Amino acid sequence: MAELVVFYCFAAILVFAAFRVITVRNPVHAALFLVLAFFSSACVWILLEAEFLAIVLVLVYVGAVMVLFLFVVMMLDINLAPLREGFTRYLGLGAAVAVLIVAQLLLVLGSDRFGLERVGAPVRRAADYSNTEELGVLLYTVYAYPFEIAAVVLLVAIIAAISLTMRRRPGIKAQNPAEQVAVRRSDRVRLVKMRSESRR
Amino acid sequence: MPFVTPEFLPALPEILLAVMACLVLLVDLYFGRRHPSWVFLLAQASLVLCALLCIALYPEEPTTTFNGTFRSDGMSAVLKVFMILVTYFVLFYSKFYLDVRDLFKGEYFVLSLFAVLGMMILVSAASLLTLYLGLELMALCLYALVALNRESSMASEAAMKYFVLGALASGTLLYGMSLLYGVTGSLELDRIREYQSVGGEIDIILVLGLVFIVVGVAFKLGAAPFHMWVPDVYEGAPTSVTLFVGTAPKIAAFGMLMRLLVDGLAGVQGDWIEMLTILSVLSMAVGNIIAIAQTNLKRMLAYSTIAHVGFLLLGIIAGTRAGYAASMFYVIVYALMGLGAFGMIIVLGSKGFESDRLDDFRGLNERSPWLAFLVLVLMLSMAGVPPFVGFWAKWSVLREVVAADQVWLATVAVVLAVIGLFYYLRVVRLVYFEEGQEAAPLVCGTDVKVMISTNALAILALGVYPSALLALCVTALG
Amino acid sequence: MLQNYLPILVFIVIALGMGTVMILAGSIIGPRRPDAEKLSPYECGFEAFEDSRMKFDVRYYLVAILFIIFDLEIAFLFPWAVVLDEIGTFGFLAMMAFLAVLVIGFIYEWKKGALEWE
Repeated sequence: MAELVVFYCFAAILVFAAFRVITVRNPVHAALFLVLAFFSSACVWILLEAEFLAIVLVLVYVGAVMVLFLFVVMMLDINLAPLREGFTRYLGLGAAVAVLIVAQLLLVLGSDRFGLERVGAPVRRAADYSNTEELGVLLYTVYAYPFEIAAVVLLVAIIAAISLTMRRRPGIKAQNPAEQVAVRRSDRVRLVKMRSESRR
Repeated sequence: MPFVTPEFLPALPEILLAVMACLVLLVDLYFGRRHPSWVFLLAQASLVLCALLCIALYPEEPTTTFNGTFRSDGMSAVLKVFMILVTYFVLFYSKFYLDVRDLFKGEYFVLSLFAVLGMMILVSAASLLTLYLGLELMALCLYALVALNRESSMASEAAMKYFVLGALASGTLLYGMSLLYGVTGSLELDRIREYQSVGGEIDIILVLGLVFIVVGVAFKLGAAPFHMWVPDVYEGAPTSVTLFVGTAPKIAAFGMLMRLLVDGLAGVQGDWIEMLTILSVLSMAVGNIIAIAQTNLKRMLAYSTIAHVGFLLLGIIAGTRAGYAASMFYVIVYALMGLGAFGMIIVLGSKGFESDRLDDFRGLNERSPWLAFLVLVLMLSMAGVPPFVGFWAKWSVLREVVAADQVWLATVAVVLAVIGLFYYLRVVRLVYFEEGQEAAPLVCGTDVKVMISTNALAILALGVYPSALLALCVTALG
Repeated sequence: MLQNYLPILVFIVIALGMGTVMILAGSIIGPRRPDAEKLSPYECGFEAFEDSRMKFDVRYYLVAILFIIFDLEIAFLFPWAVVLDEIGTFGFLAMMAFLAVLVIGFIYEWKKGALEWE
């Protein structure tokens, strides 16, 4: 019962935050609402006993992806007015399509198909049960092939990000610590022997 | 799920390609500045090696390994070999294109290799998970390739559109997959198929999942009404990338369609045949009719692609083994023709000149009779005029549609193909019967000329003797 | 399992309560007499020159995305470390192959100079 209350609280926050992400005017606020949405869905996942995924969601999405989002929002210097242009023009059609899709989904995804009598209630685990272990046992053996593909996808992401955004800036005066450390006295100071001159 | 130590042998081509792509990256990093051609040669060598390995490991029986995530069968082997072959040609044209414009970058070849790896993973996926990862690997590389020329604002715009719409399509596909997983409780395509045959009445959620999956695949294939990105991306991307996007990924998308619909969702065949029929008719209509209004050849060929995708779907709509084989034949033939057509734009272009407007083809016959003849072969083949191979491709899918008692569909397809004839013939007319502004004879490198000639003559030869390739497709599908 | 997370829930509730109470208390108790001059942006006695939001350099984006990629790598390492004794040599080698691919990515970004700020 308590779980149910907690679930509905977080689900309500999640829906509210997701709705605000697309309706709020300031893109920075939208990004922060997205953080809230991620966080509340992580809480919902914990209620499903998917603890590792929930923590990864917070670590990776809230911790890293949202930082990236904020950078991008600030990088773009979005002018808000043109974004709103054409909104009303497409509102009718968009709303009609959305209503249609929601209606269809409601028809199909009711509790008579995904209800407890159809799927079965989830087994509640004891306090010493580790979801992370279960995941690890499968991920590195049974799903080793998709796991390696994930590595390649990450490699491609590195290559693509660097080749699309890296640019050499010519004429930048930068220090090279390796050169500074490797420098010898003879490179910098030259002792010149000369005869002392007589004062005239 | 008990773990069985997997057999690596069937997946050796993928492993080899992944290792070689990493090697190419390192070679580019350390020797790229002094010896830029090494990257190109090594990339080509790895493609050749990989193709040979695919042929050597041609599976007699379909084998599934990596605990039900990887499948190697006749279809995957044949599709892989042709994807690699097409990419081999693409990289060759690309080198010419990039060299001329000083855009040569090692990353271009590395990303191309990884894209091919993604396609190979895609066509030999046995579970939704690998299928999705392969698709994303391919798509990520293609987005980056389109945007690789950072100076061009058109390319950036094209990449942006491609990325946003592609991400939307991936999301749709993923939602469909999650519904399938929710219903069947398995990611493996075999289990998903078995679920339906045991279940008795068809689950409506399965059909809902199917809708999302068909939408996602239609996006990737560029079938109407999900074709909006195709003309913009084809026009905006550098021509060598257009060449790549328009050819090999189509073969991969066909493989994805077969894996999802035939391997996974055979139980709801009736439903997906109806959906694909709508997509097919719309694609043929949109492609063939809008192409007439285009003045840019890349854009025209983009609409022509949409029309070809409509035709390609016909064989799958027939819903028989022979129909699938006809579609497979179609997609391979289409890839070869697209290769020639976009290759021609590259061959005719030069530094600072793209040669992608229809007017640039005026009077080509005066300037280079041989290239003009090749354009004739390519355009007539695309239009589906006998005796070129494009005709046999259209004929084989139409025959299967008629055999499946859908005569009206075949009639519609023929009428739309005849409408499509107009814009292909217009190119031929420009080449042969119009005066061009420039009269100077065309000069271009011998190597690309040999390449485009091989390409077009292969189309001619396949047109004279199409049965070998068709038979290969039939045996590959078992 | 859920009982392990009860303290966190309690913590969230208390934190939310504290935050709300402090902000509410501040707005109720504190004196507030805004006027147009007080609310205008202050820039050393000048009129504001430009918008307070300014464009970030694209290099921040590169750093952030490289961080995400290696963050994900760590996310994959964690369950591996937990079950290392159960998954045997195969699981060990699977992770080594994963790391090898990412090390190549790391060499690439190092050599390209993506880690240098200039």
